[in-house]
Order: sequence, then structure tokens, then C-alpha cells
Amino acid sequence: MPDDGKLGLDGNGYDPNRDGDLQEQFVEQWRTNAYGCFSSGHKFCREVCPVMQVTRNENHTPTAFHASIVAMEKGLVDVADVADDFVHCTQCGACELRCPNTLFTGDFYRHRTRTVDVVKAMRALMVATGNEREGWKLWNERLAEYHNEPVLGEVPVLQEHVRDWAEGLDIPIGGETILFVDCEAAYYRTSYTRAFAQLLQKAGVEFGLMREQWCCGGPAAEMGYVDLARRHAEHNVADWRAVGAKRIIAPDPHDYIAFTEDYPRYFGDAYDFEIVLGVELIDELVKEGRIQLTKPIERVVTYHDPCRLNKRKGVHKPPRDLLRAIPGLELRDVDHVTQWSYCSGGGAGLPIEKPEITAEISNRRVARAQSLEVDTLVSACPWSERPLTEAGERADEPLEVVDLFELLAESAGIEVGGQTRAPQPEAQA
Amino acid sequence: MTTIAFKSGVDDAVIDELRAIIGDDDRVLPNTSSRVNRTRVPAPFPVHRWADYMPDVAILPKTAEEVSEVVKLANRLRIPVVPRAGGTGLSDGAVARRGGIQIDCKLMNQIHEIDLVDRTVTVGPGINMLKLNEELRKHGVFYPDDPASYPCSLVGGRIGTGGWSLLGARFGHTRDLVVSMQVVLPTGEIVEIGEGGGRKLRKSSTALNLKQLFTGHQGTLGITTEATLELVPRPEVEFAAFFAYEDYMSAYRTLGDLTKSGLATLAGVVLFDEWKIAYLRRDDEAYIPQPDNVRAVIAVAMYGTRAEVEPASKIVMKLGRHNGGRYLGDEISAGDWASRHDRYATPLHGRDKNGQAVMMSWHCEDAALNYSVLPKVREEWHAIVERYREQYGIFDDWGMFAYTSGPHKPWADYLVEIDIGIWESRLNEENWQGWVNCKREIAEVSLKYGGSITACHGATREGDAHLVPQEMGSAWEVVRRIKTALDPNNIMNPGQQSFDEFYEEGA
Amino acid sequence: MAIFRLGDQAPPPARRVTDTVVMRFDHVYEVDPALMELTGQQELPAWDTLRIVDSRWDHLDWMHAHFADDVLLAGEESETLPADKPPADEMPSEERAGPRPVE
Repeated sequence: MPDDGKLGLDGNGYDPNRDGDLQEQFVEQWRTNAYGCFSSGHKFCREVCPVMQVTRNENHTPTAFHASIVAMEKGLVDVADVADDFVHCTQCGACELRCPNTLFTGDFYRHRTRTVDVVKAMRALMVATGNEREGWKLWNERLAEYHNEPVLGEVPVLQEHVRDWAEGLDIPIGGETILFVDCEAAYYRTSYTRAFAQLLQKAGVEFGLMREQWCCGGPAAEMGYVDLARRHAEHNVADWRAVGAKRIIAPDPHDYIAFTEDYPRYFGDAYDFEIVLGVELIDELVKEGRIQLTKPIERVVTYHDPCRLNKRKGVHKPPRDLLRAIPGLELRDVDHVTQWSYCSGGGAGLPIEKPEITAEISNRRVARAQSLEVDTLVSACPWSERPLTEAGERADEPLEVVDLFELLAESAGIEVGGQTRAPQPEAQA
Repeated sequence: MTTIAFKSGVDDAVIDELRAIIGDDDRVLPNTSSRVNRTRVPAPFPVHRWADYMPDVAILPKTAEEVSEVVKLANRLRIPVVPRAGGTGLSDGAVARRGGIQIDCKLMNQIHEIDLVDRTVTVGPGINMLKLNEELRKHGVFYPDDPASYPCSLVGGRIGTGGWSLLGARFGHTRDLVVSMQVVLPTGEIVEIGEGGGRKLRKSSTALNLKQLFTGHQGTLGITTEATLELVPRPEVEFAAFFAYEDYMSAYRTLGDLTKSGLATLAGVVLFDEWKIAYLRRDDEAYIPQPDNVRAVIAVAMYGTRAEVEPASKIVMKLGRHNGGRYLGDEISAGDWASRHDRYATPLHGRDKNGQAVMMSWHCEDAALNYSVLPKVREEWHAIVERYREQYGIFDDWGMFAYTSGPHKPWADYLVEIDIGIWESRLNEENWQGWVNCKREIAEVSLKYGGSITACHGATREGDAHLVPQEMGSAWEVVRRIKTALDPNNIMNPGQQSFDEFYEEGA
Repeated sequence: MAIFRLGDQAPPPARRVTDTVVMRFDHVYEVDPALMELTGQQELPAWDTLRIVDSRWDHLDWMHAHFADDVLLAGEESETLPADKPPADEMPSEERAGPRPVE
């Protein structure tokens, strides 16, 4: 779905070859989006924003993100003035969904609030104008070098180890169906990936791995490194084509968003792959009986709706159906609309620049789970599981955090293997 | 980086003093972005004069003591203080007129105590009602202060503006639901204000009853730093019904019938006039394919126990149909009522003269009026807006609502609103002045018909503010004595509601 | 299971409903694009439209439950709309857009 840049959908935001000040181009491109919010300014977004719930600082509101663009147009602020504000966002999508311009009339006018795109575009402007953040700069330099997110801190994430998680599983390279493995899941929380892969194998689904898997590029785009993101996308698509892939299975919600939102913008109509969301596939396999959940799991759990499944994609039913299908499991649910205001704080680079805010967001998520008197918090996104796990350990009464696929695999009688965290001590990126 | 000059006596030395008081530099914010983003409230806003309305520095206090010390400093140095909670008010009450120190209370959003025996909840002013009620739900109680900004406004602002609630005919409004509060006075003292002495008392006759004075003052008498609120039993059932009429007067008569019915669980009745129905047809998802003879609508809602609401609902269905009303159906009745808790005017509902959708800001002009004058006011208001629309081309008439407004008294006066679209991105000094004149004319009509220029938003916006002395009439002198006694140096949200004239030479 | 295919994301062609409103997905009304020339419309893939519609109904249900334990309705059909409109609870979730709540 090519975007001619007319309405500011393009992740880039501007063409550096054009004459004119970059900031001016940016304002011109995002003006309509900015006024879409500014003309209202009613702030229905504020209380659902996970960052706002912690900082209570108006600068961090989606309202401020849009108003700052209008202020830029009026010459009241420039990029340097607002750069730090725009760091304060996990791109969870709660605000842009909750905004009445989306929720009540976004479909009617084919014009909705797009805070995620606005934040990404501003961060790209920050990179282009010498207003980069130090932590993100270092993170993405490492991404550029190793082509996977530096999820192991000081330990480089080498390409030669990108498939180590699959040891003993005999997964071939290539084929029509490719399993895409997220960086966090390939190097850090390998239990997630082993669980998912073995569930597919148990169901008799044929799939292969990439010859050379690079990061999907999504996080780079979220932090404003647009060229880097695009290079990774081009590499991955070339790799898919080279092995004749038609279908990509994406268990991780972040990858699913990259493949269904970013990649179509890069490649247009030529992008003819089928993208399958992992949790929907597993849900279908269980309902068809191709995966049998036979081993009881005696746990009392509550489910964390990952932002990039629930708010960004509207996927909230399959995980709950799956949890209810596990024998012995008691699910104490919090509905998916209430969870529009929940988050782990792990997205869009926030843990790199503002780890204390991510930690507090996760602390609160864990506290909410604990108020239900459960012994386990189940998530369906590996990026959420790291901050949630750490918060669970910090809590006065420790709470265990597991991934949905890990639980399903256990109930399917699979010996998952792998690890839920990397053994090396983590250094700051 | 940009720098925008301070307007008041704030300078680097003052900022250092503020940092010393607060002890946390992240909560003392003189940088441009913090000021720019704490300027306006919801539209319309004279964007071309943004810098005129910026505060000089924003403080994010955590305690009443911090607020008190900041206010004392402001008094000593004669620096304006502007209290701000959600900044979602519709009348610029939280907009700095003369720079100064904005006290942004959002960090004071804790629930301090829930007392299920004496039925109160005590909170900080920075908490939002929807978030509060999410916590209260498990106890089977709620705090039914329900404005159109329910998901985003904050308790402190509700007290400051003297807010109106959609469910007010049943449960009362903010001033009826706040039991007592802690206030920092303009001279910095921290005082307890309520009906009488005890924090959890609703009715007393000791000394002077001060609570109402400190509700709806638009931040001109002090800053609420804690509030004790009413806990109401959570309703078993909600009933809502919408009826369509072929003409306004049939709907108007039905409004009278419903509000005088004596039904105790009646929570709110809303009258949509013909212009409002025409406006709603732009977003025809709700009204398609409603026939043309749907010209006015009545919405009515009830809350309470099933034993009371169910029989009452049958009476409502009869009354709704009595003047030729036709029921709009279960789906619209349920769906539209649920959307009332975040009633919102979509910018893209604006239409230019060619019918093109353009982003317009929403100004909601509110007045308090008695039943008898509603039809005439409607005619005059629409005529005024039409005249200004013709002349300036950047305004749009989005129709009128009349809502029950008497607390616990559906038959009393009405919150009457005319919603006006303004093409904000086209505002300049000339048409902004045109806008101010339009507002003034509308407000003058309210006074002409024995009403008030504001039921709940506050008279703090240009076009309204200078009519305040006229509306207060003989009571204006009483207002002067109280304001000047409590705020001798005119530092507490100065420039609002024409209170400045109290401080003029020879005043 | 919904498989994402870019080719499936284009919305269906518009059918006219009134002189200012069209319809692409069943029961999902849209403004006539001719009225959006000044502002411009965004590219909204099919999955996004359906996500918004479903989320809206979920939000309204949530609001009801937030204020009261139960919603009592008159239990009667519309007296203004044509009789052949199917009742809301017969529409599958994806199509259950129906009349949209207004301000």
C-alpha cells in the first residue's frame, strides 16, 4: 500500500534531498494530523497513556505531541525544545485508539488519530537534525553492526548464533513457510521461541527458518532510524524471496506490526507475502485438534493483553480462548478494554532511555495482577516479559511471569528447553 | 532552543527559590515546552497569540505544604498563581492571563482513604473520576460526577469550575458530591473547608457555610489540595430511551412532562434541537436512514435499583410518546447514551460554505436558563450565529442541547448549550474579535431572559467575563468584599471574571 | 484465523447511501470522499476499519458496565426506521457496526 507521503503516513516524514529546512518540511507534512488533535484538545487520551499514569507530566501527553507541532509551526518551539518529551512513549497505541477522532469517527472520515506515526516521525526528525538520544544512538549503532537488537547488553548478538535457540529441533532452512524469530526471543527468552516452534511441529505444520535473519527493523523505525529500518526490511524480504517463501509466521506482535504496517509502506504492491500471527495460528490448531492440551496446569493466572496485539491490532480473543482451553488453569480475567490503559513499558525504546519509567509501568502492571490474587501473570509478547518479569521479582510478594506459548507447550506435553533470560549479566545499552 | 520571555515577576532568582521549595528540579519547569503545553485548554484558542497566555513556570506539587509555600512566595513577590488540574475546562479558567506560576496538580492523584461505613472517599485533586470509579467498583460504590469530560477531567478542576454532571438530576453535581476539602488560600494558609466542622459531614449549621463559596470560584479563591467525596451505591440498572419528534415544540413539551413527572430515578433528560439533528446527520452513522421528519430528539436516562427503574421505565416510554414521539429503538438508545459520558465534538464535523469537511474547533457556549424561555433563546442564539457565520465564514452552527441541571431536581433550570464550530487554523486577530463579539451577544441574550451566562463552564472566557458584574447585580459588592479579603494582592488567577476591577485605583 | 494479505486490505468499492454518505463495508457508513478534498483522507486498510468498529462497540459496552450492573432497554424496535432492517444481535461481530453513536 504505497503512500505518496501526502498525508504523513510515510515513516520517513521528509525527503532530505528537498530544499528547505527539515523542520519546516516536517511541520508541513504533519500539520493536518497535528490540527486533527489540536482542534479538539480534549485529552481523552491522557488517562489511558501508561507513561502519563506514571509521570503525570503534561509534556508527555499525546495532546502535547500534536500541539508541539502546531507550536513549531508558530515558531514557539523547535526540535531541541521538545526532543526529550517525545522520548516518553511506548507507542502502545492506546491514545490513538481511545481518541474519539478514531473511536467514534475514524472509520467514517477515513481519518484517524495517528500518535504512533507522529512520534516516530518526530524521532526521525530528531535523528536528522542532530537531536539524537545517546542511548538510542548506541543501541542502533550496534543494530547496524550485528543486524539484530543488542538484547544481550555488552555481549554482541552475532549472526552465527541467531539459530542457536533451535538446537535439537531439526528445523530446516527455507521453504514456503518461514518462521520469523524476534531478536529478544532468539537470544534472550529462547523458551518462548522453542515453545512456539515445538507447538507447530507437534501440529505437523511445515516451516523453515531464514538463511540470514536480521531484525525486522521495527524498533529502529520506532526510535527514528528510518534508513536503518528500511535496510533491514529489504534484506529480510530478499532472503524470503531467495528461498521461495510465500508465508511468514510471526509469533511476536512487534514483528507482526512491522510486517503488516511498515513493510507494505516500503514495498507497495510488490509485497505479496502472507503474514500469519502466531497466536491466531496456534488458536486455530488447538480448535482443530491438531494440538491437544492434555497436561493440566494447576495455576491461577491473569492475562496481560500485549499492547501491540490488543490496542494496535484488536487481537484479544484468541489468547483468552487458549488459556481457557488449558485444563486445570483458572483464569481471572481483566477485560481487554480496561487493558487499553495497561502496558509493560517495554516498547519503542523507552527502557533504553528511561528505564525507571519502564520499571514503574511494569511495577504497576504487576500490582494490578497481584490484586487479583493470582500466582502467575501470562503475557503473549516477549518484549513485555522482560520488564514484567523483573517487576514480578521486585514485588513484595514475587509474581511469576510466563509466556502463553510456554504454558501451552507445557500443557501439550512438550519439554520446551531454552531459557527465560540470558545468563550473562546485563549491561546498559 | 527557543526562549520566550517571562511575563510576570518570575526570573532566575524566583526559579531558584521555587526549586528550593520543591526540592526536585523535575517538578519545577520553566522550559519552553512545559510552558507551551500548559497554555491552552480545549478550543477555541487564539493560536496567533499563543505566547500571550503562557505561564512563566509550571510547578508539579505533591503536597499541600509545597503548594502553600509556593503561594506564599507568590504573595510576597506579587506573582500571579494559576491553578490547573486537567486543563479540560471549556472556558479558559486555567489559562494564565498574566504569566506567573502555574500550579499543575496532576501528581496529587492518590486515593487517600475509602470509608465504606461513613460513605466517603478522600482523594487528591489530580485524580480523574473514571479512574477513581474503576477503583471504587469492587466496593459496590461510585462517585457519579459525570460531565462530558468524564474520562479526562480531574477532581480539582471539577471543584474549581463548579462542574455539572449528566446525572445531576438524580445524584447532584460536583458541589453536591464534594463533602469537604482542604484548600490553600491565596495568602498561603492551609484550611479545611466543609459544611461545618467534621470532614465527613454533609449538613451543618455552625458558623458560616463555606463549602459552596469554594466551589466554582474558577481558581480565584484558592487551590484545593485534598477533597472528601460522596460514595453513592452503584446502580443495579441503567435505562435509556431516545425519542424523535417532528418539531421542536413537541420535544420541548415532552421535556417538561418528563422533568415534572416525579420519577425519583430520573437521572437526566436531554433535548436536541433541530439544528443539532441537522448537524448530527453529517455523521450519518447514527441517523441514517432516519427520515427527514426526525427534527428534534429527547434522550432520557434513569439509574437505580431494578425494583424502581423497571416500573418507571414504562412511564417514561408513555411520556416519551405522548406528544407524537417515536422511539428510536434499543440500539440507538443504548449506544448513544453510552457515548454521552465522553461527549465530544469531532473536528471533522465542521463544514465550510461549500459543504467540505474541515477541521473546526468546538466552542460550547453554556448558559443556565429556566424552562419557560428555552424556545425563544434558541431562536435568538441561532440568529446570532447565522449572522456571524455570514460575515466571517469561519464559524459553523452545530446546534443546541438543553440538559436537566437542577441538582436532584429534574424540573428546575436547564444547562443550555449552543455548539459552535470555529475554523481554528484560520483565526486571526480580526475574526477572533468577531468571535468574541458573537460570544458576548449570546451571553447577553441569557441575561435578558433572566438566566446565567454560564451554568458550569465558568465566565472566564473573553466575551463572557465582562458581563459578570451585570449578572451578579447587587451581589457584586459582596463578591468584591470576599475576593479582596481573601486575596488582598490579587495573585490567585488574576484577570478572570472581571475581578481585576476590585483592585483598580479608587475601587 | 486472519491471514494478512496486502491485496485484501483495500476497502470494497463505495455504494451511495445519501447525498453525503457512502457505504463500503456492510453497516459501516463513511463520508462521501468528495467532501474530504480539502482535508484529505488517510489510507485506512480494511483491518484498521474493522478494528475501529469493533473497538467502538466494545468501548460502549464497557461504559454501560462501568456505570451500572445491567442495562435495561425498552425491548422495542425503532419506530422511525424501515421494518426490514435486521436486529443488531443477528449481525456477526465484524459487520455489527450499525447506527453509530453521536455526540
